[in-house]
Amino acid sequence: MMGAAEIALLMFGTMLMLMLTGQRMFGVIGFVAVVASIWLWGERGGYDLAFSQAFKVMGWFPLISLPMFIFMGYVLSESRLADDLYRMFHVWFGPVPGGLAIGTIVLMVLISAMNGLSVAGMAIGATIALPELLKRAYDKRMVTGVIQAGASLGILIPPSVVMVLYAMIARQPVSQLWIAGIIPGLMMAGLFISYIWIRCRINPALGPTIPAEELAAVPRAEKYRLLLAGLLPLAIFAAMMIPFVMGYTRLVESSVIGALAAVTASIFKGRMTWAVLETCTVRTLAISCMFLWIILAALAFGAVFDGLRAVDFVRALFVEDLGLNRWHILILMQLSFIIMGAFLDDTAMLVIVAPLYVPIVRMLEFDLIWYGVLYTITCQIAYMTPPFGYNLFLMRAMAPPEVTLADIYRSVAPFVAVMVLGLALIMAFPQIALWLPQTLNVR
Amino acid sequence: MGLLTAYVRMAEGLCYGVGRVAMWLLFVLMGVLLYGAIGRAGSAPPIWTDEMAQFLLMGYFMLGGAYALQMGSAVRMDLLYARWSDRTRAAVDAVTILTLLIYLGVLLWGGIESTQYALEYDERRRGLWRPYMWPIKMVMVAGIVLMLLQCTAFLIRDAAKALGRPLPLAERGE
Repeated sequence: MMGAAEIALLMFGTMLMLMLTGQRMFGVIGFVAVVASIWLWGERGGYDLAFSQAFKVMGWFPLISLPMFIFMGYVLSESRLADDLYRMFHVWFGPVPGGLAIGTIVLMVLISAMNGLSVAGMAIGATIALPELLKRAYDKRMVTGVIQAGASLGILIPPSVVMVLYAMIARQPVSQLWIAGIIPGLMMAGLFISYIWIRCRINPALGPTIPAEELAAVPRAEKYRLLLAGLLPLAIFAAMMIPFVMGYTRLVESSVIGALAAVTASIFKGRMTWAVLETCTVRTLAISCMFLWIILAALAFGAVFDGLRAVDFVRALFVEDLGLNRWHILILMQLSFIIMGAFLDDTAMLVIVAPLYVPIVRMLEFDLIWYGVLYTITCQIAYMTPPFGYNLFLMRAMAPPEVTLADIYRSVAPFVAVMVLGLALIMAFPQIALWLPQTLNVR
Repeated sequence: MGLLTAYVRMAEGLCYGVGRVAMWLLFVLMGVLLYGAIGRAGSAPPIWTDEMAQFLLMGYFMLGGAYALQMGSAVRMDLLYARWSDRTRAAVDAVTILTLLIYLGVLLWGGIESTQYALEYDERRRGLWRPYMWPIKMVMVAGIVLMLLQCTAFLIRDAAKALGRPLPLAERGE
C-alpha cells in the first residue's frame, strides 16, 4: 500500500499530465478526484464524494455575488460606458509625458471599483485605450503592459471575486478583506504610474504628449462635462459599497445593487439595447458556469487531499524536513504559487492551492486578512506570467494585430517587477493592508 | 452515420434550449435577493429567500453548464494544444474526453443515490423554511445528464473529425 504522500503526489502528477493534453480542466481535475476517492474509499461511499461537494458550493452564500459581478463587468464593457471616461483622461492628462498611459491606469482603477474580475478592464483597455494609444505613437510594448497591469487591479480593489473565493476558503469576512485591498490597490496603481512617468521622462518617445493646439480645440465646457463622466463609476461604487459598509445590505445584495446600477446607468446613457442585454446574459452564463464547474471539481480534489491529510505532509516538508522559519516558508509559498500560477488555470489554482496553504498560514500565526491581500497580489502576478496567464491570452484575443504575442510576453516584465516590489512592501509593512480595516472596524 | 448525426443534433439542441432558458435565472435570482433585502428592512422578513437564492444559483449553473460547455468556454491548458492541427486536437480530445465522461458518470451515480434518499426519507434542509431537498437534487441530476449528453456529442464530433469525416453539422456557439 502506498503512503498518503505518494498518493498525493501521484494525483498531482496525473492531473498535470492530463492537463497538458489540453482537455477541459474541470474534467481532468474531477476525474483524478473521483478515481482517487473510489480507489481509496470506494466501499465507504467514495462515489458520493464528488456529488456531495455541490452542497458545499450551495452553502457558500457569498458565491451568489460571483455571477452578479461578472454580469456587471460585461454590462460596463458591452454598453461602452467607459468611452466618456477614457475621453476625460485623454483631455485632462494629455499634456503630461506618458499622460495617456497614466490616465489608462487611473481609468483601470475606476473600472476595478465597479467590477470584480480583470476581464472587463482588459476588454475596455484593449478595445478603447490600446488603439488610441497606438495611434498616438505610444510604445506598443509599454502600453500593452500598462493595460494588463492596470486590469489586474480588478481583483485587488473591491469588489473582488478572487477575494470572495479566498474568504470562503480561509473563513474570513469578505468585507474586511475588501477594505484591506483598497490601500494596497491604490499603492500599486501609484507604483505603476511612477514607473510610467519616470520611463517617459527619461525617454519621451515612449509616450508623446498630445499637441497643445489639439487640446485647445476642445471647448472648456466640454472639458468640464467630461469631468462629470468620472462621477459615474464613483456613483456606482458608492451605491454598492455604502449600504454594505453601513450594514444595511449583505455582500450578495450589494452585488445585485451594483449590477442593477450598471444596467440603469447604461439605460440612461441610451446604450442598453436588447442585443447588449442578451450578450451580457449569455457571456455571464458561460463564464459563471465554467467557474462553478471548476470549483466543484477542485472541491472534490481538495476533499481527497483533506482525507489524505496532505496538508500535514506539506507542513512536515516545510517545517521539519527543511527546517525553515515562518518568513522563509511564507516567501517560499508565494514563490511556489507564482510558479504554479504560470502553469495552472487561475481558478483551479485558487481552489486547489488555497486550501493547502491557508492552514499553514494559520499555523504560522500570520494574519489571514493580510495574507489574503498577499495572495490576491500573487494571483495578479500569476495572471500575467507566461506561459499560462489569463490576461496574456485575453490580450492576445483582443489586441490589434500589430501587437504580437512576443510583444505581449515582453511587455509584462517591468510591471511584474513593480508588482513584486509592491508585494514585498506589503509583506514588510503589513499595516499598508491592515490599517484601514482595523480603523473602520466593519463587521 | 445518420443516427449519430441525429443524436448529436438532438443532444446539442436540448442543451442549447435548456441553457437559453436557464441563463435568465440570473434575473430571477436578483429579484429574489432584492425581495429578501426589502423584506428585512420592513417588518416581515421572508424566511425563504436566502435558500431560494442558493437553489437558483445551483439550478443556474447545473442547467446552464452544458450550454456553456457547448460555447467552448471551458478553460484548457493550451501550452501544447494551441500548436496542434485541428485534426490532432480532435483525436486527442476524443480519447481524453473519457476523463469528463467518467467524472460526470460518478457525479450522476452519487446524484441518483442522493435523490433516491431524499425522496425516500422526505429529506428537508435545516433551518426555518425547511424546504424539501428532492426538487433541487432532481434539477442537479438533470444538469449532469445534460453535461453527459453534450460530452458524448463532443466525443462523436471529435471522433468523426479525427477520422477525416467531420459531421455535416454547423458548429454552434460563439
